Amino acid sequence: MSNGLKLVLFLAEILTLGSAVLVALHPNVLYASVALLFAFLGVAVMFVYAGADFIAGAQVIVYVGGVTILILFAIMLTQWLYKLNLREIPGKILLPILVVGVAVVPALYKVIRELTAFIEKAPPTDLEKFSSLPKTSVIGQALLTNYVLPFEAITILLLGALVGAVWLARPTK
Amino acid sequence: MNSANFANSLQGWVGIGPIWVWALVSALAVIFLLALPFGGFATYVERKIAADMQDRVGPNRVGPYGILQFIADAVKMLGKEDFIPLGCDKFLYNLAPVLVVMGACAAFAALPLSKLLMGADLNIGIFFLLSSTTLIAPGILLGSWSTANKWSLLGGLRAAAQIVSYEIPVALSILPVILISGTLQIGRMVELQGWSWAAEGANSGHFWNAFHNPFTFVAMILLFIGGLAETNRIPFDLPESESELVSGFNTEFSGMRFGLYALAEFADVFVMCAMVVALYLGGWQLPFINLENLWVTLPSGLIAIIQLSMFLGKTFFLVFVVMWLRWTLPRLRVDQLMGLCWKGLVPLALINIVGTAAWMWIFKGQSIAQLVYKMAAR
Repeated sequence: MSNGLKLVLFLAEILTLGSAVLVALHPNVLYASVALLFAFLGVAVMFVYAGADFIAGAQVIVYVGGVTILILFAIMLTQWLYKLNLREIPGKILLPILVVGVAVVPALYKVIRELTAFIEKAPPTDLEKFSSLPKTSVIGQALLTNYVLPFEAITILLLGALVGAVWLARPTK
Repeated sequence: MNSANFANSLQGWVGIGPIWVWALVSALAVIFLLALPFGGFATYVERKIAADMQDRVGPNRVGPYGILQFIADAVKMLGKEDFIPLGCDKFLYNLAPVLVVMGACAAFAALPLSKLLMGADLNIGIFFLLSSTTLIAPGILLGSWSTANKWSLLGGLRAAAQIVSYEIPVALSILPVILISGTLQIGRMVELQGWSWAAEGANSGHFWNAFHNPFTFVAMILLFIGGLAETNRIPFDLPESESELVSGFNTEFSGMRFGLYALAEFADVFVMCAMVVALYLGGWQLPFINLENLWVTLPSGLIAIIQLSMFLGKTFFLVFVVMWLRWTLPRLRVDQLMGLCWKGLVPLALINIVGTAAWMWIFKGQSIAQLVYKMAAR
């Protein structure tokens, strides 16, 4: 990788981490969600660097175009939410938040450990070669052969969610 | 990646310099030589067409036929007072137009202008086009909220709801083309829409996708309608509807910020029309003529120019149709808008996908043109 490309990756990392810190610490929930948008964009750039172009596109479509819009919608349609100062949250909610946060750390640690071990084991030439291959067809074939059961299970879950949404939104008689 | 892109060819011609410098240069070239001039020029064309349809003269003072009007407009907008309304959210107010322009300009990188003239022929080409234009919706929503104006907010909420729902029929109407060409790469998709007389099977030129089978023709019309709604054009201009919401999400924007919104809208219209052309109307292909396979060999520069004018000609025709519709159709109501999307476009798009899949299976991926040619040859 040339120095210029490394610089872009570095900027993307700063964008992601900085926005993530803002998401966690900014008192205004609207600003936090805008920061979340930029964190998602930064992650998409990192996916491109990892050679996962399809995942990068999906990241932008699903998270920037879908999830962020829904969050913004919810904030703007709820009158008190965007005036809420997150620092005013009472202390008794803070304890469960802390417990969950601490509980996630070992899981994250394990995932990172295994991933780095996997990458260190793989020969570097393989990684170089793999990162420039078109991945879309590989993903499609994997989804419809090896992973067809989880794939179908997810479609049923999504169908259930759709039916549930329609049921919730229908006019009451 | 074995794809044509500006940065690599620039580096190839000049011979020196790191690739990222050339990437930067080509990105700037795409924005300043393509996206922004088109966006500006389209504002002039729109007014001229409106004038023609309403039996008026239209802009005719600046330059011959008023053709330099858009440059005068840009100068006027830059010279205006930088007015920020009281009580608005300054940070978001400044950020929103930038997000919208970013989304519209990024899409230009993946447009197939000709076989060799293409920002980047990405592996995920069409997916990239879809994903880069999704930045427009948050831009409009945040901009409308930041101005603390209730009409703006209503317009912004309408825009976001409309864009999110019409993304579904748009994506579903792209799928038949992916089924036919078996790739997401736009360059390859356009190449497959060429025509060679001895063509057989799915993996050779099969003429334009719009005429591949009856379902794709319907899918093209659905894609065009969905694109109209995604770019907030009449008859889907509810976010801006001036009779109810003053000017909708851009009411409080003045000067160049308003100019950026207008520019991004027209750039987005161009991208949408170019997408329809590239996917369904053969992109840079000439009908029934294969430029690289003629009885005389043409210089590659001439081929590139012919292909470029072919692509731009088709795209500008569709842009004209978009402007024509603006002065022809009345605006939809909100309930009609949602009804059209969920009860009309989405089921039809699903039928198209199943129909195209069935056609591919029954006729082994051959298009109508190929079948007719085969019958005639027999």
